[in-house]
Amino acid sequence: MENLNGLVLKVDALSIAFGGLKAVDNLSFDIKENEVFGLIGPNGAGKTTAFNCITQFYKPNSGTLLFKGRDEQVHDLQKKKVHEIIKLGLVRTFQNVELIRELSVIDNVLIGAHVDFISTIIDQAFRLPRARREEKALRKEALRILGVLGIEDRALLPAGGQPYGVLKKVEFARALMSNPRLIILDEPAAGLNDSETIELAKLIRKLRDELGCSILLVEHDMRLVMDVCDRICAISFGKFLAVGTPKEIKENRDVQIAYLGIEVEANA
Amino acid sequence: MKKLIKNPHLHFIFLGLLLMIVPKLAEMGLFKVSYVTTLGGTFILAIAALGLNILLGFSGLVSLGTAGFMGLAAYLSAYFTVDLGLSFELSLILAVVIPTIVGILVGLVSLKIEGIYLAIATLAVSEILRKTFEEFDFFTGGFSGKTASYPTLLGTYELDRAGMYYFVVAVLIIVMLITYNMMNGRLGRALNAMRGSEAASQAMGVNLLNHRLIAFALATMYASIAGVLYVHFIKYSYPSIWTLKLSLDFLAMIVIGGLRSIYGTLLGAFIVFAVPDLFLKQIPFFSEMSYVLNGVLIILVIIFYPNGLINMFADIKRLFNKLSKGEGK
Ligand SMILES: Nc1ncnc2c1ncn2[C@@H]1O[C@H](COP(=O)(O)OP(=O)(O)OP(=O)(O)O)[C@@H](O)[C@H]1O
Ligand SMILES: [Mg+2]
Repeated sequence: MENLNGLVLKVDALSIAFGGLKAVDNLSFDIKENEVFGLIGPNGAGKTTAFNCITQFYKPNSGTLLFKGRDEQVHDLQKKKVHEIIKLGLVRTFQNVELIRELSVIDNVLIGAHVDFISTIIDQAFRLPRARREEKALRKEALRILGVLGIEDRALLPAGGQPYGVLKKVEFARALMSNPRLIILDEPAAGLNDSETIELAKLIRKLRDELGCSILLVEHDMRLVMDVCDRICAISFGKFLAVGTPKEIKENRDVQIAYLGIEVEANA
Repeated sequence: MKKLIKNPHLHFIFLGLLLMIVPKLAEMGLFKVSYVTTLGGTFILAIAALGLNILLGFSGLVSLGTAGFMGLAAYLSAYFTVDLGLSFELSLILAVVIPTIVGILVGLVSLKIEGIYLAIATLAVSEILRKTFEEFDFFTGGFSGKTASYPTLLGTYELDRAGMYYFVVAVLIIVMLITYNMMNGRLGRALNAMRGSEAASQAMGVNLLNHRLIAFALATMYASIAGVLYVHFIKYSYPSIWTLKLSLDFLAMIVIGGLRSIYGTLLGAFIVFAVPDLFLKQIPFFSEMSYVLNGVLIILVIIFYPNGLINMFADIKRLFNKLSKGEGK
C-alpha cells in the first residue's frame, strides 16, 4: 500500500449514489498531517455524505479511502467496520449533537475512551484493581480535556440540561478523548453565536497546535472556514469544484458561481 | 468517616444487613412468618427485574420474555437436583448457562428487529417455553407442576426457610453491587450510548452486535438466577406462574420503581409484588384489584414521576432541606 507521505487521509474518486441521486460523485482530496482542512459546498452538496463514507456509516459505491492511523500504519478504511474506525485515530462529531442526555457530562466524554479500556467486564463487575486504576486515570484525562475546553465545572451535571454551546463542547471533548489523529467536525459552529464562534476558531487552532492532529471541517459559516482552514475543498452537487488556500477558493470563479452565486450577482 | 458514609458499596451492604434482620423480627413475633416468604419472593423477582432494567432501561431493548426464561431456569434446577440428583451449585450453574444461551440467540434476532417487533418476538419465545412446561411433563410435571426442596450448600449446609431467605438476600445484594459496578463503568456507558444514539455509539467504537448480546445475556442470566432461587425458595413451579402477566409485572416494576435505578427496581418489585400481598389482601375489595392497581399506578408514575418513584425520595429530601433552611432564617 502507498505510504501516504505526509498525509493522514487520502480520498480518491469517491462516489456514492442514493437511487438515481449521485450524492458524492468522483470526489478526490487529501489532508496533510497537522492541517486544518475545510470542506464547503451549498446545502445538499454531499458534505455529510462524504463524511459518512469516510467513517464507514455508508459504504461507498467506488473509490479508495486511505488513512494513516495512530499506529503509523496506512489503513484501507473500507476494510473496517464502522465501530473500528475510532481505534485507528479517526473520530467525528455530528451535525446534530448526539449525546446521552441522562448521563453526566464527564460520562459522555468517557464514552470517547470506550476502545481504550483494557479491563474486562469481569474486572469492572468486581471492581478489581486494574479496572479501578484505569477508570480513575481516564476520568482524570476526561476532566483535563473538559478543563481545556473551559467546562470542567459542569463535569458532574447531566448533559440533558446544558445549553447548546456547552453540548457542542462536550461532543468535542468526547472526540478528543480518543486521542485522534484526524477529527472530523460536521458544522461545529451551527447554532453558536458570534463570540462562541470566535472562541471555537481559537480552540480549533489551539487543538491542532497542541495535539498535533489534523482537522477536517465542514462549515457554512464562511468566516470560520476562511479564518481557520489551511486549505479548502469546495464541492457542489457531489462534484469536486476546487481546492486551495482560503484566498484561492474565494477568488475561484466556479466556487463563486456555485457557492457564492447570489452574492456575486448582487455585487455585479 | 464521611467518605465511608458516602461510599455507595457500603450502602448496598448496609441494606443487606437490614433485610437480614427480618426473620429475626418474625421469630420475635413482631410480624407474621409468611411475610418472610413474601419479602424473599420480592427480592427474587427484583433480581430478574434488575436484568430487565439493564436490557430496557440502559440498553433500550424491549423484552416480554423474562417470565419464560425465569421459568426455564426454575424447571431446570428442579430437574437437575431432584431427578438427576446433582448438587445445588452445579445445577445452579447449568440452569443459568442453558437459558442464557437461548437468551443470546434472541439477542442475535434483536439485531434485525426492534421496538414492538422485538417485544413480540421475545413474547413468542416465552410462550413457546411456557407451552413446553405444559407439554413435556416427564421433565416439568405438566400442569401438576414440579417440586423442589431447600438447597444444601456445598453438600453440608442444609438451608431451611430462614436460611434460604438469608441466601436470597445475599444473592440480591451481590447482584445489586455487580450491577452498580458494571452500569457505572465502561459497559454501562456503552449501553447508555447505544440507547441514546446508535450512530454516536458506533462512531465511539461501541460494537452494537456485542453489546446487544451482552445486554440479552445479562438479562437472561439475572432471570435465570431468579428462577433457580424461586424454585428452591417457594419449592414448586407450575406453568401458570410463567405467563405474560409475570413478564408485564417485571415491566411494571422497573417503570414504577425507576428505569436505570438499582434501588428503584427493588422499590418497584416491592410495590408490584409485596404491597398487594402484604396489605391489599387484608382489604376484601382490593384483593381482586391488584391488576388494575398496577395499571393505574403506572399511569400516575409516568405522569408525575417519569423517572420512577425512587425519585420521590430525592424530592422529599429537597423539600425537607428547604423547610429546615426556612426555619433557620
Ligand atoms: N441516507 C440517504 N438516503 C437518500 N438520500 C440521501 C441520504 N443521505 C443524504 N442523501 C441525499 O444526498 C444529498 C447530499 O446530502 P448531504 O447531507 O451529504 O448534504 P450536505 O452537504 O451535508 O448538506 P447540508 O449543508 O445541508 O448539511 C442530499 O440530496 C440528500 O438528500
Ligand atoms: Mg450536512
